Amino acid sequence: MAISKWKSGLLAGLSVLALAAQANAGEVRVTVAEYSSKTGPYFQEVEKAFEAANPGIDVKFEVVPWDVLLQKLTTDITAGTNADLSIIGTRWLIDFVQQDVAEPLDSYITPDFKGRFIDTFLSPSIMDGKTYGLPIAASARAMYYNKELLEKAGVANPPATWAELKDAAAKIKALGGENYGYGLQGKEIETDVYYYYAMWSQGSEILDKDGSSGLDSAGAIEAAKLYKSLIDEGLTQPGVTSYAREDVQNLFKQGKVGMMITAPFLSNQIKEEAPNLKYGVAAIPAGPTGARGTYGVTDSIVMFKNSKNKDEAWKLLDFLFQTDWRAKFTQGEGFLPVNKEEAKMDYYVNNADLAAFTALLPDARFAPVIPGWEEIAQITSDAMQKVYLGEGDPEALLKEAAAKADGILKK
Amino acid sequence: MHNRALPYLLTLPSLILAAVVIFWPVVDLIQIATHDVSRFGQLRDFNGVANFSALVADPDFIKALLRTGVWTAAVVGGALLVSIPVAVILNTDFYGRSVARVIVMLPWAVSLTMTAIVWRWALNGESGMLNSALRGLGLADQNIQWLASAATAFPMQIMIGILVTVPFTTTIFLGGLSSIPDDLYEAAALEGAGPVQQFKRITFPLLKPFVNIAIVLNTIYVFNSFPIIWVMTQGGPANSTDILVTHLYKLAFRVGKLGEASAVSLVMLAILLVFTAIYIRLAMRGERA
Repeated sequence: MAISKWKSGLLAGLSVLALAAQANAGEVRVTVAEYSSKTGPYFQEVEKAFEAANPGIDVKFEVVPWDVLLQKLTTDITAGTNADLSIIGTRWLIDFVQQDVAEPLDSYITPDFKGRFIDTFLSPSIMDGKTYGLPIAASARAMYYNKELLEKAGVANPPATWAELKDAAAKIKALGGENYGYGLQGKEIETDVYYYYAMWSQGSEILDKDGSSGLDSAGAIEAAKLYKSLIDEGLTQPGVTSYAREDVQNLFKQGKVGMMITAPFLSNQIKEEAPNLKYGVAAIPAGPTGARGTYGVTDSIVMFKNSKNKDEAWKLLDFLFQTDWRAKFTQGEGFLPVNKEEAKMDYYVNNADLAAFTALLPDARFAPVIPGWEEIAQITSDAMQKVYLGEGDPEALLKEAAAKADGILKK
Repeated sequence: MHNRALPYLLTLPSLILAAVVIFWPVVDLIQIATHDVSRFGQLRDFNGVANFSALVADPDFIKALLRTGVWTAAVVGGALLVSIPVAVILNTDFYGRSVARVIVMLPWAVSLTMTAIVWRWALNGESGMLNSALRGLGLADQNIQWLASAATAFPMQIMIGILVTVPFTTTIFLGGLSSIPDDLYEAAALEGAGPVQQFKRITFPLLKPFVNIAIVLNTIYVFNSFPIIWVMTQGGPANSTDILVTHLYKLAFRVGKLGEASAVSLVMLAILLVFTAIYIRLAMRGERA
């Protein structure tokens, strides 16, 4: 017994050594997020094509589900076993830069290379004048609406303002049956973002001009009251705090929800899973002053400072950001194009759904680049869940959340 | 005369291995917990008990701590109450016993995460199996939003916890029951003892050591159990179903406070150590008496 334990101990020790010795010359390891079932096969193809074109470089992609990506990166970096390149949420980039684990890419970037990108999407990856990441995925949010439900309810055009949305939702509710006007997300990732759509339309921002939390502003409180009134009047699906984004999307695909706000990839899902659903994509509803905002998101691919094969890694980046490979990735996953040449392709120009998203880009807000942002987002989500559950007055809950957020901002 | 050092020498290899596997991480944890730590685990300044006092000041931590007590007691207790009769029944000879044993063991064969995912679907408010079953049976005329608030979500999670703990517990009890000689029951029956008396006077007392082991092992296991709560609610809405492990996970990997997360994990370790030590002493004393 003791002997076999020794053996396994030795084996464990050896495998630790093996891990440490993993960075062979000419090897590039890349951690990539699994966006859908198409991500893995896409990167396998890239690996084959790149290795054929660059003999001597061995590429290894590690495909990791989104939910555990940050956890994996945290543990890998702590243990010093991180890959050479990794996809990260751009909103995490500031932590990577402050902790000095991300390598600035400026020495590699030629003006020609930089010219491949649409500025809106490249700029979130630039900090202190240095480019720390390249946008590998970009997305924005717009409002999907069920044409058939709206028609049945006697609503001619998709609602352009929140007042119209409320009105349309009431008419859909009046149809009876299991039809819900507005699909409201109240659980898990981006629960806070679902609330910002309403908040931005009231002219409030996540951060006030003085850098403090905007959650206690009049617009933010108004937005929370709006969502609460939608819930109270039965204009959303019941039990919003048990609905993650995917759950609301499923309701929409089943044709039970009149309107919901989400990302372009829902179009791809509908094409595959509910091809008969008649839907349209419109702008996010505006507030009384006409203000509106959508959430812009990019994911960046970064190079780690401790990478031993930076030149090889850069070659791979250069390869990845060619128009054809980009187009294949973007179209498969249902993202927005980040390359200028790619955006001119027929696929994007003639796509009404995507046009609605790109039209919203001037109103796009990206997650604020501040340390502790994840914690503030968590505080906001918690506060909104309490509002949705009716566990207190929206105004009081938001003021409490703003105070907590300010405490983090001051650090 | 025996060499007094011999037993220690013989256990030394496994002690060293245990030290490497157990103490090394704990020492590491203590280091992280007593320092100001960066998001990626680089230690900065020593800050003593600052991480611990931050925890105590956090109402969410205190609530999670209390909730972990409720969760552990309810799941371990519930599993015990269900498992004893199940084991006694499975120990009797009846037609189809082996099939019944397999069915009881099945939840054990499925990964905990899978079980939790299936239940998350089953408890879906709109298209969940449980709601359609309840409505089909006429027990509910409206969909119940099981996971929308802690009042319904947490009891469901406890129930699922019990369900997945029963197979292991039953196995322990079946082993215990098979160690009780049949002669005892025959003798008791001759003296005129009924089934209830036989259970109270023979089965339960002889099963007691096995009950104790089941309580200790299950407590350690359930106290640290992550998948059920994480998959179904992620401790939400608004942290109202958080237990210590899910709280720890959020602290470490959502918010990036590795120092406080390590402190939580040390608190958990301490609670389990104290519990196990006290319980084993009590149980042993009972046995000696």
